[in-house]
Amino acid sequence: MLRIENLTKIYPNGTRALHDVSFEVQDGEFLVVIGLSGSGKSTLLRCINRLIEPTSGKIFWDDIDITAASPAELRHIRRHIGMVFQQFNLVKRSSVMTNVLSGRLGYANPWLSLLGIWPAADKEMALKALERVGIADKAQSRADALSGGQQQRVGIARALMQDPKIILADEPVASLDPVLSHSILQYLEQLNKDGLTVICSLHFLDLVHRYATRVIALKDGVKVFEGLPKEIDRAKFKEIYGEEAQEVRAASFEAEA
Amino acid sequence: MKKNLAPIARLFWNALGIAILVFLFGASYRVTQIDFPRLVRDAYKARDFVMAFLSPDVVTRDVETTVIEMNFPVPCGSAPEAEMPDSGPRLVTNVPCAEARQTFILEGFDLLPNSEVNVSWLLPTGGTLRIGRVTTDEDGHFLIEVEVRPITAAQDGVPSRITAETLVPVGPLKPSQALLDVMREMFVTIFMALLSTTIATIIAAPLSFLAASNITKRGVLGTAVYYIARSFFNFIRSFEPLVMASVFAFWLGYGPFAGSLALTVVTTASLGKLFSEAVESIDSGPIEAIQATGANRLQTVLYAVVPQIVPDFISFIVYHWDINVRISTIIGFVGGGGIGYYLNEQINSMVGYHRAGTAIWAIIIVVWALDFLSAEVRKRLT
Repeated sequence: MLRIENLTKIYPNGTRALHDVSFEVQDGEFLVVIGLSGSGKSTLLRCINRLIEPTSGKIFWDDIDITAASPAELRHIRRHIGMVFQQFNLVKRSSVMTNVLSGRLGYANPWLSLLGIWPAADKEMALKALERVGIADKAQSRADALSGGQQQRVGIARALMQDPKIILADEPVASLDPVLSHSILQYLEQLNKDGLTVICSLHFLDLVHRYATRVIALKDGVKVFEGLPKEIDRAKFKEIYGEEAQEVRAASFEAEA
Repeated sequence: MKKNLAPIARLFWNALGIAILVFLFGASYRVTQIDFPRLVRDAYKARDFVMAFLSPDVVTRDVETTVIEMNFPVPCGSAPEAEMPDSGPRLVTNVPCAEARQTFILEGFDLLPNSEVNVSWLLPTGGTLRIGRVTTDEDGHFLIEVEVRPITAAQDGVPSRITAETLVPVGPLKPSQALLDVMREMFVTIFMALLSTTIATIIAAPLSFLAASNITKRGVLGTAVYYIARSFFNFIRSFEPLVMASVFAFWLGYGPFAGSLALTVVTTASLGKLFSEAVESIDSGPIEAIQATGANRLQTVLYAVVPQIVPDFISFIVYHWDINVRISTIIGFVGGGGIGYYLNEQINSMVGYHRAGTAIWAIIIVVWALDFLSAEVRKRLT
């Protein structure tokens, strides 16, 4: 179980990205975070594995206080939290295989990994992960030779290498052609069904309805909604996304729903 | 700020600005001592060495030497006079003997036509005294006026001899000594540049990560290291290559070692700056992603940063090798060894213009080739 308590993040330039956000995530949930761009979704996800240091507040994973972990402890915690990014964040010039193997860095012998030497078991695991996302044949391609959808699948395979208990997915389909959204989210759904906790930020409401087991919504860094997907009616929608966005989003919501 | 100025005031400021500009350009014109007509008027001064540069000393042939000699007593009566044959290759003087400081006429007949002849005294002591170099005409004849020096006096009845060496080129063309020297010095220069670039890379590459804000500037310690590394690069960047070369030449003596060290310092500064900027401009996404896997700092750098910067780094390195070949030519002039030093020697020797021409051509060719090569390499890396 993940417990976020009074999480606040103020950037050095004064931007208040998160304000006193608290919620809990039970093991095995598919929690979707929604909100406008700049509402603090990315900051929230990055605070959980401390890619961004929270200004105040606490994050507990079972009994471990992530916010109080030393650098070495933090690396051990991060090994079990896979992350998938909007821009895939692959090393474009490296091969798909190297990208996937790099998901194993937290486990690997530091010195051998610096020399680029990987145990056969890890390579086998990487191939299995690539098979699981259906692109084992691309293992030796350069990452930037792949299409966007394929690159995101490499991103998922990399996260799988971590043997994760939690997957943080930051807008995993926002950079993709909308028709590819389901193909990516289905992999996350499958992982969720295999017992992983998934915390995912999304833009399209139809996707939220389709995949989320629970939803929280952020507006200007404040949690404005927490509940089941079906509880987001027009009034809630208006509250989350604001008056101005209403027309456009509502239209697209209706068109896609 | 100025939008409320009255039109008349604006006119005044504009006029003042123009006046200042005119003054600045006028002053620069004067201090530069610009004198365009002189370019034409003094063109003849440049003709000799420009012509020499255009006819570089590249090939040579083996030379066969034939020597004819005659006795020439100084002063008269100090030794038997030579008999003067009247056929075959021979030397003839208008007087059979002479006193010191007299002048006489020396002629050669029936020598090889159109050939170079070295004329000199062979002294009784065994030494030689050069008279001059002449060229025979179509009939194999030459004429030269000789002034008698006291040193040519006969000793104990042994007179000085006048010798004429005819130089005849034989055999196939082969690379001249100048060409061989130039090639050797050119290799010295290329390797100097290569070595300095390599050492500079070894120093600059790790330091550049410390001087990259996105890698190092974290926490108090990181920020301190970042500023120290940056200051180091800025500090050594303030040294000019020529100044560095002069300092090292003074310290270690003229030669490639001094030149290489100067190049190394300058290249380290330049590469350090370029490298750290390349590191700073990388995509931070992969860094984030690798950190999220639980990788440590060094693993993050190696897996997320290095693959992104390798092409840039290689491109900068090749480019600097190219630049360093050029700079080391100039550095040679102040004692840095290599082709520049050779070129400087030849230009200063007054008789080496053709050899200087060889060096200049070699520099042009090598610089062009390296320029092309580095452009090709960089093109392929993108």
